[in-house]
Amino acid sequence: MKRLIHFVREAVANIRLNRTTTLIAVATTAFTLACFGVFLLLYLNLRSMATSLQSDLKVVVYVKDGTPPPGVSDLQALLKADPGVQALAYVSKEQALADFRAQFPEESHLLQGLGDNPLPASFIITLAPAYRSPDAVRRWADRLKSAPGVEQVQYSRDWIDNLNTIVGYLELAAVGIGTVLSAASVTIIASTIRLTLFARRDEIEIMRLIGATGSFIKIPYLIEGAMLGVMGGAVSLAMLRGGFELFNARLGMPGRFLGIDSGFHFFSGQVAAMILVAGLLLGFVGSVVSVLDLGRAKS
Amino acid sequence: MIQIFHVTKYYERRPALTDVNLQIEKGEFVLLMGPSGAGKTTLLKLLYCATPLDEGQILIQGRNVARLKPSAVPYLRRTMGVVFQDFKLLPKKSVYDNVALPLLVQGLPAFETRRKVMEALKAVGVDHRKESRPAMLSAGEQQRVCIARSIVNSPIILLADEPTGNMDAELAREIVELFKTINARGTTVLVATHNRQVIEQVGRRVVTLDQGKVVSDEGKGL
Repeated sequence: MKRLIHFVREAVANIRLNRTTTLIAVATTAFTLACFGVFLLLYLNLRSMATSLQSDLKVVVYVKDGTPPPGVSDLQALLKADPGVQALAYVSKEQALADFRAQFPEESHLLQGLGDNPLPASFIITLAPAYRSPDAVRRWADRLKSAPGVEQVQYSRDWIDNLNTIVGYLELAAVGIGTVLSAASVTIIASTIRLTLFARRDEIEIMRLIGATGSFIKIPYLIEGAMLGVMGGAVSLAMLRGGFELFNARLGMPGRFLGIDSGFHFFSGQVAAMILVAGLLLGFVGSVVSVLDLGRAKS
Repeated sequence: MIQIFHVTKYYERRPALTDVNLQIEKGEFVLLMGPSGAGKTTLLKLLYCATPLDEGQILIQGRNVARLKPSAVPYLRRTMGVVFQDFKLLPKKSVYDNVALPLLVQGLPAFETRRKVMEALKAVGVDHRKESRPAMLSAGEQQRVCIARSIVNSPIILLADEPTGNMDAELAREIVELFKTINARGTTVLVATHNRQVIEQVGRRVVTLDQGKVVSDEGKGL
């Protein structure tokens, strides 16, 4: 316990003594994690948006005109038995016409010239969660197209596909940028610790001569690196929060009108903690890199 | 206690020590004499593993120094106290913390550390300066702090490199008395010096080095 207190006290003393280098290391880690955090924030929000849209996804199965009522009943039974169908609602031709008139009262005259009701009957289907991914929806719809009595199967596939593609690219960008910036952060933290080691080389030599083991000398520097990383992580979270609030404020009324503001959320406590842990790991790895040199230098 | 067989050490191909042989028994007080550049400091450095051996063997308490693994070196150093010529005190730590350092690295409990540090500081007469930083002390006081640090963990061997350099005669006499007291408690003491006054005051075994070679070994067994 006494040793642990000594290690932490030494680490804190190092941080206090080397304020400029500490500031640079914390700022670099904060910037790195903030850049990564922007992508993570976008990625998580768009992914949650995509998931939410997928859960709202309705597939419309249009019934062939002229299908007799038993045929419609057979199709309904087929759909009810399908494991991909969570819920379904039948919209008759008359209901479709009434809905059209209710939704577009000014354009209802367009239908008058077409004689009989041209709108087909349909089934509006909510898919089971396991069938909501783009591929699953496509496979399910293709399978159903050949069922008797089915005219067409329709859903807003392109839009969802595009959103999923964007989410995929964001995921790649977050991983790529995160890796590059993490390497930069590790390098800078390693240099900071190396500067500390250089500034304290005489002390380290004295510690060796009075019988300190390598680990006794190195542990405070490892703790220092981890502390710098956590501090960088905390600063990055503060920066991201500030930026997020500013973004929300700028989005303001137009965003609320479009219903966007309800879709964007800041990191959950768990993700924020993960960012702090990421900072800690970056700092720790950085100090391990520099302390390895110390081990190689001399026993 | 310390056995040195045919030891040779080179610095950039120039021999600092040549074929040195020496046996030091447990509890002996040995003075290592010789002019500057005779190899006294090099011999001490070889004993506390601060520089590698080129030829020969050194056994300390039966352990072959040349064959020690790097991870075992700190544990050998913990059995020794070293008084460095340039004191080697940590400038940002207090006198108390400097003296406590050898105990801290060994993981001694806090109460025991406090007791031993205060004992060591009292023994060298600088307990009243325990809160001071080394830079606030005179050279003599810094030397005493260095001695306190070297004896705080009750070493079995005490090595001192020119411990009375830059000191007036009276202070040098006090320091030598201190070493005699430490030796009287059973610690083997090896002091490198070129101060004749020290030799007269100690009146024990004197090994003289010149140009890296042992040229005389007088008073063995005294």
